[in-house]
Amino acid sequence: MLDAIFYPASIAVIGASNNEIKWGGRILKNILGDFKGKVYPVNPGETSIQGLDSYSSVLDIPGEVEMALIIVPSKFVMSVVEECGKKGVKGLIVVSAGFSEAGNNELERELVSTVRKYGMRMIGPNTLGIVNEPAGLNASIIGRLPRPGSISFITQSGSLGLALAEWTIDTGIGLCKVISTGNKADIDDVDLIEYLNGDESTGVIAMYVEGIKRGREFIDAVRRVRKPIVAIKTGRSKRGAKAVFSHTGSIAGSDEVYSAAFRQAGILRVDDIEDLFDAALAFSCQPLPAGNNVAILSNGGGASIVAADECERQGLNIVDLSERTREQIKSVIPEFASSSNPIDTAGTVSFKIYNDSIKALHDDPNVDAIVVIYVHTMMSNAMPPAEAVVERKQICVKEKSNKPIIACWMGGAGTEEGVELLKSGCIPNYPVPERAVKALSCLIKHREFLNKVKLGVEPVDKIGRCK
Amino acid sequence: MKILTEFEAKKVLSKYGITVTQGSIAESEDEASSIASSIGFPVAMKISSPDISHKSDVGGVILNVKKEDVKSAYSDMISRVRKAVPGANIEGVLVQQMAPSGHEVIVGLKKDPQFGHALMFGLGGIFVEVYKDVSFRVTPIDKNSALDMISEIKGYPILKGIRGRKPADIDAVAQVLVSVSEMAQKENIVELDINPLIVGEKGAVAVDARAMVD
Repeated sequence: MLDAIFYPASIAVIGASNNEIKWGGRILKNILGDFKGKVYPVNPGETSIQGLDSYSSVLDIPGEVEMALIIVPSKFVMSVVEECGKKGVKGLIVVSAGFSEAGNNELERELVSTVRKYGMRMIGPNTLGIVNEPAGLNASIIGRLPRPGSISFITQSGSLGLALAEWTIDTGIGLCKVISTGNKADIDDVDLIEYLNGDESTGVIAMYVEGIKRGREFIDAVRRVRKPIVAIKTGRSKRGAKAVFSHTGSIAGSDEVYSAAFRQAGILRVDDIEDLFDAALAFSCQPLPAGNNVAILSNGGGASIVAADECERQGLNIVDLSERTREQIKSVIPEFASSSNPIDTAGTVSFKIYNDSIKALHDDPNVDAIVVIYVHTMMSNAMPPAEAVVERKQICVKEKSNKPIIACWMGGAGTEEGVELLKSGCIPNYPVPERAVKALSCLIKHREFLNKVKLGVEPVDKIGRCK
Repeated sequence: MKILTEFEAKKVLSKYGITVTQGSIAESEDEASSIASSIGFPVAMKISSPDISHKSDVGGVILNVKKEDVKSAYSDMISRVRKAVPGANIEGVLVQQMAPSGHEVIVGLKKDPQFGHALMFGLGGIFVEVYKDVSFRVTPIDKNSALDMISEIKGYPILKGIRGRKPADIDAVAQVLVSVSEMAQKENIVELDINPLIVGEKGAVAVDARAMVD
């Protein structure tokens, strides 16, 4: 049913405008950017909008309308929605504000009951719209269509979602869908999780949550989803705001309960926005490891110690390598370098050192995941080790390996080319070791969820891996 | 919303198979004396009033009362509490067996508007007051989740027995958690503290409890 919203064949933009600074103008322009289906601007005051014939009502449109975007003042929303119902529109995105977020709860209830009367589904009101990259659909005020990817991002804050979606484009993170939920009057988190679970192009779900409406149903829905869900939940600071009757009451603020509920359902709760996308990026292009035994390869001792410390903090094990692995690594690194985990090549960098070491680590049955660090110096070149990582990754994909490779290319000028290569080779790369390890720890925690919380939940499909 | 006295709260706990310290409410010196004799000495005496939930703050708790002191303890407590909380509805004094020795833990419930009931577990006494070393689950939970909950707190090694001390009966605590999870909805609990639940080498006993029900 939500396909009508994410993969519509035809769209009416009600409240469309020629003025691209206005919402109705901007959103129409964005839709026209890459969307291949039919688009009908609706505005009784215009005959032509952005080169298309304009209609004075959705009822005047000659063909079918599968989805309608509503961008009119709140006092007109009800009559417009009524017309959409009569027209046979299936999905609505109500951008208009002035509902429960402004205290107009009654108006929102009326809106929902009209939507349901006609069997329609609605995102919003008070949403900044949605983006569905695989459909070339940018029905939002986000300036550009994101890069293709398998991360679907559900955001309760419109403006934050907007800024982050723009940021992912420059950072090189691919997105599948961006959904600004608005007031969640009809379609809420439960509906979206269930829909994205069945959506072939979504591999990982990232959420920015301020509050969940149907808590129990949400937990039950999430438990049935194998795809990783990473969430940031704001509002940690409210704890213990009021005096209560019991000790339990004073300690169990809503934040603690959210944490417990998320963990029980198998949602990875992260602390900040950086963690959210770091984890989502790792999920979107690396397999889930079988266990928590990590090997670290680095050309700098300091960086590998930082990574090892973070592993310790995250409960990951710096595994002892087999004798065979150490021999293989010893044969390519200088005599004075360390072949025990974390491996330190003592500053030497080459394609062969990185390639052979990664291969040896990957073939070691004790190793579940590999963190590859490159620290840039004036004497080294960031490209050969990046080439080695990308080549090893391609072999891993071919061999259907379940050992993720996470990269950390440190340093500024001079690393760009290597970093770009990693990006295009679908290697999650981070500028500092802690972020690389934290992202890896999310893959491992999700594996634990699958083994414990989501026992028996079958994968819906096998997407979410690039190349 | 209604606040249950300790006596009433423990009745609910008993209904779900949780062991509580035995006792009854005395409404006179003589009654206190006869209840105490039937329990065996020494006893604990606690004021029973729906208006007083923090009993020790108003001088409403005396522990280790010997046979010869029961009557005077009764009348002293009544007059002390009347002075501390004028107008409180006092039902009498709960005369109870003394708590067994063991680890003090806390088990609690809180109704949450989004997720139903949250169940809390932690070490009792100063650990919960100062360190807030607790774990949470949304109910209902099974025995395995209860065991996970117990093992999640930082103080878990204390319960497992450190430095040659005997381990506490962790299985009994898990059973209490499952029982409390079960009563959450059935009893319309808004908030509940079992504090402390005393865990020995064998068994766990609810020594004090307070509850608010809907």
